Amino acid sequence: MLDALRFEWTRLRTLRSTYWLIGIGLLCAAGIAVILGFAARDEPLGNEILSVAINGGASFGIPFLAVFLAIIGIFATGHEYRHGTIQPTLTALPQRSRLIAAKILVVATTTVVVTVVSMLINVGVVLAFWGEAPGLFESPLDEALLGYLVYTLIYAMTGLGLGLLFRGVPSALVVIFLMPLIIESVIMGLAFIPAMDWLVPVVKFLPFTAGAQLMAVGPADMGPGAPDFDLFSRWGGGAVFAIFAALIISAAWTLFKRRDA
Amino acid sequence: MITAKDLYKRYRNTVAVDNLSFEVRPGVVTGFLGPNGSGKSTTMRLMLGLDHGEGETLFDGERFSSIRRPMNRVGTLLEAKPFHPTRNARNHLKLLGSANGVSDARIDEVMELVGLGPVKRKKPKGYSLGMAQRLGLAQALLGDPKILMLDEPTNGLDPHGIHWMRDLLKKLADEGRTIFVSSHLLSEMQLMADELVVIGKGSMLYNGDVDQFVREFTQSTVVVRSPSATEFAERLEVKGATVVKGSEGELVISGMEIDAVGHLAFTEGIELAELSRRSASLEEAFMSATGASEEFVATEPPTSATQKPGGADHA
Repeated sequence: MLDALRFEWTRLRTLRSTYWLIGIGLLCAAGIAVILGFAARDEPLGNEILSVAINGGASFGIPFLAVFLAIIGIFATGHEYRHGTIQPTLTALPQRSRLIAAKILVVATTTVVVTVVSMLINVGVVLAFWGEAPGLFESPLDEALLGYLVYTLIYAMTGLGLGLLFRGVPSALVVIFLMPLIIESVIMGLAFIPAMDWLVPVVKFLPFTAGAQLMAVGPADMGPGAPDFDLFSRWGGGAVFAIFAALIISAAWTLFKRRDA
Repeated sequence: MITAKDLYKRYRNTVAVDNLSFEVRPGVVTGFLGPNGSGKSTTMRLMLGLDHGEGETLFDGERFSSIRRPMNRVGTLLEAKPFHPTRNARNHLKLLGSANGVSDARIDEVMELVGLGPVKRKKPKGYSLGMAQRLGLAQALLGDPKILMLDEPTNGLDPHGIHWMRDLLKKLADEGRTIFVSSHLLSEMQLMADELVVIGKGSMLYNGDVDQFVREFTQSTVVVRSPSATEFAERLEVKGATVVKGSEGELVISGMEIDAVGHLAFTEGIELAELSRRSASLEEAFMSATGASEEFVATEPPTSATQKPGGADHA
């Protein structure tokens, strides 16, 4: 297993895209905090603004860092097929399950470290604008920020699973972008229409919507006239998202063991 | 030593590899010969567990997938360019080596050996096919393995490169290693290999010595030129030989050895202008062995109406 981990770590380190994606992700997340700083520096720093500033807009529906880390996840498996490197990889490391386990561990560790670094940078930005970051270690912010870390992790794992499932980069990218941004938004939007109200109970099971509950700092405000979606709690929603990622990864893992490389 | 037993692989409607069993011995170069699409690559992938199928392949008694740090035991070169375009060549080897405990010093050593020393930090994207093959060979040699499996390693190499590859493989075999190398060119195999495994459409056509293969599948003939050709032809036929008259009046004799033909001419008092042996070309032998099992057969190009009778004189 150590060999497999060493392999995956070398793989990640020797790819230029790794640095680009992490760099851009950190920059975008920090950029949101800077924009918020300029826009709201005269307002009192509430939990809502503070959490959005630290998670780089993720709880506001634009999870930059999570998306870029998900692309690293997609590349971890998708690149192998796109460039045919799966063949030398498997002749260097023929134990397939060990390879996948190592990919998961290395991408997960990278995701956690990068997300923590991003949060630290953003706390720095907040301190620069407001000079304080109140209630960072108190409920609900502490849980919401931990939730952000878990959210990003599950997001990246979903990417990794999709890359392996589709054995390529483009289709996995399409799914990771379309699913939260288009499909889930459309379903949720349709649920607002009275004639489509049978969609209401479905909404809370939409994986990315449920996952966003991880970062909630208060009850979700969907605007006036919104149906009661009866969304899961923070960790309940997280579990829905995690199960979704786990299903994709286990399907991909099973197929990977069975398929011709 | 490689022992392949009952290898079998079928895709939906076609059997790609049909019950192949063979052994590859150490100390010699074993050629794996077959026309394009005959299942050589699939067989190799099957042997390495890249493709799933039936049968079992043992490398010095062990299945590939259960070998720990396999690059130190079995070196492989399969596809021509399986590299990430932006990861430089040295890092590519470093990546594979990292799973097999290969030192950086060994990586540099192997890159020098295959002649990629000056371009080792270049991206393989810019490599020619020949350079990519050299990098593939470096990958195979990285762990200094006792067994080498190479799929069409001379593909894209220039004549100098092919010569170099041939010498290198012979040298490695002389060191007691097991070398299994595929090709679709018999002429190349005859220079490189000692033993042959020949397949066509996934099934075994021949397994044994190279020279024996050539002897078995080539018919050699005796060519005679003589002022009294017609007379001699009759005498030869009486003795049971088959005689065909060539386009320039020479006699092409099969079914009689050259010394017997010479002796007959002497005893019959017939003057000879030429007495020589003509071997069918290696490619002809290959065609006769694999002819019926060619996967992709091109049709004869239609003859152009404007072509002069006799043709080809523009060459």
